[in-house]
Amino acid sequence: MLGYAWSLLSPLVRFVVILHIFGPYVSQSISNYAFYLFLGIIIWEHFSITTMSCMGMLHDKASIIQRMVFPRVFLILAVGWTNFVIFLTHLFIFFVAALIFGVSMNASVVYLILTALQMTLVALGVGMLLSSYSLKYRDVPHMWGVAIQILFWLTPVMYPYVLKGGSLTHAARALLGQESVTSIIALFIQIQPLSIIIHDARRAVLYDAISGSPTLEHALGMTLVCATIFLFGFVVFQRRQHYFPQEY
Amino acid sequence: MAQKPIIECTNISKVYHQHTIPTMRLQDELMFWRNRSKSVRIDALRPASLKINAGEWVGLHGPNGSGKTTFLKMVAGILKSDSGSIRINGSMSSFFELGIGFHPERQARENIRLNGLLSGMQHHEIEDLTKRVLEFADIGEHADLPMKCYSTGMRLRLGFAASAQMDADIYLFDEILAVGDADFQIKCIKYLEGLKAKKKTVILVSHDYPALMRTCGRILFFDKGLISGQRRKIRSSSTLSPELFETESV
Repeated sequence: MLGYAWSLLSPLVRFVVILHIFGPYVSQSISNYAFYLFLGIIIWEHFSITTMSCMGMLHDKASIIQRMVFPRVFLILAVGWTNFVIFLTHLFIFFVAALIFGVSMNASVVYLILTALQMTLVALGVGMLLSSYSLKYRDVPHMWGVAIQILFWLTPVMYPYVLKGGSLTHAARALLGQESVTSIIALFIQIQPLSIIIHDARRAVLYDAISGSPTLEHALGMTLVCATIFLFGFVVFQRRQHYFPQEY
Repeated sequence: MAQKPIIECTNISKVYHQHTIPTMRLQDELMFWRNRSKSVRIDALRPASLKINAGEWVGLHGPNGSGKTTFLKMVAGILKSDSGSIRINGSMSSFFELGIGFHPERQARENIRLNGLLSGMQHHEIEDLTKRVLEFADIGEHADLPMKCYSTGMRLRLGFAASAQMDADIYLFDEILAVGDADFQIKCIKYLEGLKAKKKTVILVSHDYPALMRTCGRILFFDKGLISGQRRKIRSSSTLSPELFETESV
């Protein structure tokens, strides 16, 4: 794990670059674009850093894994906890900035805690899935590095999230091969969990007047989806963990 | 009534199918897809069954790659057996020379604490443990320096002390007699005698055959992944003499 300073620098650089280059094009359609982007980037970074650290952890702790018997999932939970706390400090910076620039926020800021939890669950689920195989195949972290770049563009971090009605009909048509590649990608951007989590956080804090805060049912349903991803990763990890000591 | 064994291994084995082509990366796996069936079978441990009673001292002896450490790691629960079962009726502390598992940027105290936490100890137990470990390892003022400032020997000594001072029913030691200088080895032997007095169960891997004869009541011989034979001490004596051992089949 790198130090705290680096956890600040990476999102900050990304933020400044995107705001400067991309900002002029979208600031018309998105009000408060700087904060829209800021919130999106810190949530995205939380996901990307956590999944990467899960794999890094197993590599770094080779000597403990080869020598001691303990539930290996503790290492993953330690990654989750550390990055959760780091993410909370990033949220704190977000609030301070919002206060300074006088961006109006309401009581539903509490929702961001749920966002942090949901994102941590998803990131750990994916992280466990990846780290289960990252010792057997040493290029998994590298491939994930490429995949996560693609995923960044398939998540509305810097561009607006557009929700079209009839997602289910679209999904059914896509499965039948009746949709073009472009619309399948558009559909994916709409329904993938990262998009929804980031969108929920934004509408709870910044745009509740326009698009309305997430309902309780929605929040519960989304948490359930995240927990399922976590659980899936956990089951795979538990099955694979016996092989870790011999895969170094 | 027969004593209930503290360690009972039934038919445990370990086979590695090692591919002769590179497989460390998924990329290799895809590139060499046609040749993927070319692999070598390595019998790290052929099916073995063994019972060890409480208070028994067992030495494992054999050439490199004969399966001693594999066996010990399976008993420790670090490696998973391909077949059979292992039943352990007690708490265990193990020391493997390979990779001591300390964080180089942290002090000895913090590392011992981590060790204790991973073994599921409570806060007050850890404080007590730290005192005993530091005293045993005898690393002096180095205790408050990060581990990266230690010599290899010091690190090994601390590693051994950390697992030796752990309170357990069963102790597994891989090549401890090769750790540290002459003074420390004397300390180790004294410590082992202490364990014997406390009627602890010990499994010891060593290339030092005379030392095994001195300390163990039973010696298992490993060869090419097979427990090829065992010798049992028939008369308790402190003198070194091979005649005191009786060879028998496993």
